[in-house]
Amino acid sequence: MFGLPGQGMHLRVDALSALFLCILVPQVVASAVAEMRGSLTFWVFVLGMVLTLVAGDAFTLIFGFELMSAASWLLVLRGDAKPATLYAGIAIFSGACLIPAVFLPPGALAFVLVLLGAGAKAGLAPLHSWLPRAHPAPPAGVSAVMSGGMVKVALYVLIRYGFIVFGGAAQPWWGTLLMLAGAGSVLIGALRSVLEVEMKTMLACSTVEHVGLIAVGLGIALRAKAMGDPVLAALALQAALLCAVAHGLFKPMLFLGAGAVRRATGTTSLDWLGGLMRGMPRLGGLMLAGAAGMAALPLGPGFAPEFLLLHAVIAAAATGGILARIGFTALLAGLGLAAALALAAAVRLIGIGFLGRPRSLHVAAASDAPRRVLLGMGGLGALCGLVALFPGLILALLRPVILLLVPDADPAPLAYAPLPLAFLFLLAIGGALFALQKFGVRGTREVPAWNGGFGRPPVWLPFGDPTTQPSATGFAEPIRRAIARGLLGPEAADPAEAFLLAPLARLHWRGTRLAERIRRSTIRERLAFVFGALVMFLLALGLAQGG
Amino acid sequence: MFFLLLLSRLVATLLHIAAVLALAPLLLGYVTQLRARLLGRRGPPLLQPYRNLVRRLRKTTLVPDTATELYHFWPFAVFAPLAAAAMLTPGFSTGMVTAGLSDFITLIGLLALARAATMLAGLETGFGFGGAAAAREALFGIVAEAALLVIVISFVLLAHTATIDGIAETFRTGQIGVSVSLGFALAAMLCVALTETGRIPVDNQAGHLELAMVHEAMLLEYSGRYLLLFEYAAMLRLMVWMCLIGTVFFPFGMARADAPLSWPGGLLLWVVKLAILATVLPVFEISTAKMRVFRVPEFLGVAMLLGVLASVFLFVASRLGG
Repeated sequence: MFGLPGQGMHLRVDALSALFLCILVPQVVASAVAEMRGSLTFWVFVLGMVLTLVAGDAFTLIFGFELMSAASWLLVLRGDAKPATLYAGIAIFSGACLIPAVFLPPGALAFVLVLLGAGAKAGLAPLHSWLPRAHPAPPAGVSAVMSGGMVKVALYVLIRYGFIVFGGAAQPWWGTLLMLAGAGSVLIGALRSVLEVEMKTMLACSTVEHVGLIAVGLGIALRAKAMGDPVLAALALQAALLCAVAHGLFKPMLFLGAGAVRRATGTTSLDWLGGLMRGMPRLGGLMLAGAAGMAALPLGPGFAPEFLLLHAVIAAAATGGILARIGFTALLAGLGLAAALALAAAVRLIGIGFLGRPRSLHVAAASDAPRRVLLGMGGLGALCGLVALFPGLILALLRPVILLLVPDADPAPLAYAPLPLAFLFLLAIGGALFALQKFGVRGTREVPAWNGGFGRPPVWLPFGDPTTQPSATGFAEPIRRAIARGLLGPEAADPAEAFLLAPLARLHWRGTRLAERIRRSTIRERLAFVFGALVMFLLALGLAQGG
Repeated sequence: MFFLLLLSRLVATLLHIAAVLALAPLLLGYVTQLRARLLGRRGPPLLQPYRNLVRRLRKTTLVPDTATELYHFWPFAVFAPLAAAAMLTPGFSTGMVTAGLSDFITLIGLLALARAATMLAGLETGFGFGGAAAAREALFGIVAEAALLVIVISFVLLAHTATIDGIAETFRTGQIGVSVSLGFALAAMLCVALTETGRIPVDNQAGHLELAMVHEAMLLEYSGRYLLLFEYAAMLRLMVWMCLIGTVFFPFGMARADAPLSWPGGLLLWVVKLAILATVLPVFEISTAKMRVFRVPEFLGVAMLLGVLASVFLFVASRLGG
């Protein structure tokens, strides 16, 4: 019925598709429960993603991919028309790269095209700058699935072609290329997520970072596989796939939370929030859990993948020559920088948005999110807890996928053990509580904050002057001054925008001006043009005939 | 026999935990007093940190009215990871029960968790000093973490294991000798340690001006038993860093957890190592001045560069040697 004439549509589910379907299901369910149940476009979008994942032939894969792009474009358009054009442009570019690539024979050209096509859709540097604009535009439920699911589908296409379809022809430099793109995304994404003030934009930048982390893992694996090192390839794949699983849980949760914050307060600008933990305690707790995942803190869902990835980079530094050693050492420094930047971004999200004092009356009067949103987020949070405490279990489930991608691999068990660590934590907290209860003075007394001796605010400002507390912009200022200006230039603008989008926009503007000039030309100019063209044509004809 | 060995390791671990938890305030007292002496003052008695902790127990805990419910959570979120780090980092002996957990990256994660909780405690009440200090701490943390990871790469490549216990074991028994890369790594690690523990030249613990504080300013709104937890956690952090440097760079004479007869010697040497490190710290502190905040990333950038050099030298040495 569908598919290419005479060939039909083939669906096939193997371990890799099953894994990505498993990543997709919880966030789609959570998003549907929270708000998107009734939207037909949303379900078409989901259908496109599922079709891409279960496709058994190239045509079905492209069909699903384009369905996903088109439906998500409609959803972005519904939120905000401005980034939708950019989004459509990127989607067309990505389709234009992927369609020839899947029908080409395996080789370098085909891989580069797949990398460009799927990478643009996944938000890999340098084609990432649409993502922080387009992902925050639609309603939160769609942002959640776009950030948590759609980029994973693009990465699925990359994995499917890089490891399986083109697997035989793989060269080490393919992996290096992927790693470089990933490292760029990690750094820029992490840095921008500290600088952005809009909560959803900040979360989208963090998505760029996590896509970069996954790409770094995949790149190391691809390089190691091509160089015949299945042990390292398995380690890096564990890191990349576990990161995809964890990110698919905590990022939708954070996006749904951002949507609830917008509904409750009318804004998602961190500079206008504050003290939400008081009015929205349950939402705040869930956001705290998600932020712990985003910051890759121990006992959170994000730590095990980060742990594996850092180990993979260290192991990779031991292979190859001096260039590889310097390169991987620099990569490790970059990943460390990005991990701490992600920590700063998460602290800023919670500390400025949810702690402290309210910055407006709307925020002070906010009440907790509706039950369905909390239900969706809570489900994702429970799964986050599972990933956080039993990452070894998830890795055991990932084993068939890794064996599918690298047939002669033997994935090692995880060296990081969260349960004993949690036991040590409980021991420390239990001991401290016991000692404080037994020997200390009990109870607390509420007093005005000391604030360095400045004393009580006047009565007409119940939360004090909002401008006297640190803002999100101010919190990022030291980082902007010390790091962002060095890496991103004095304006701290995204290099992809400055070097890629801005020239394109200029070209577009010039082309439009030219077209407009032609459209407005007078009748004399048009006649002169037709006459000139006729003369040229006759001249060319005459010269060609040797007269 | 197996159970006896396990029991011996368990006892060694408990001994280590008890020693670390008990000696952490003394270590800080020693550093503070020696620094005061070197500056020509008499300084507080050695046991003053213990007295401070006991005094905090008897004070009422005040909660600012602008704080949220999580105000009560942060002290524990700072204390627990640092206590866990102190339990993991080998002190007087290798081969403790916690050896398998003591991965270097886990330790970095634990320090990051404590840092995050401290920053959130600073942002909790929404007043300027805490927020400004948290922003600076975020900046320091970014560069420090990158530098520390770069240093770790040399250890792991030398020792072929990422656990601190395994690294100490290899460096003690193996033919590593005094290598150039370890020298670079030591210098880099000292820079990171000074930053993480908030000592001069990065931060002045004895300062009284809120604007210039980093670590202390985040705790301005805390009092009573919560302040006790924060202060004790800071002492533990100093202890963890000294144990870490002592274990990784000077592992000679460390006891083995499954050989109880080696414990007294190991304990004695451990105390001597701590005393030497705790003597070097104030001597270094009084010989430099505190840096401006925006010089610190450069300071840590040097540490990162040293870490990269250590890794590169290691490569060159292995090529020349092999």
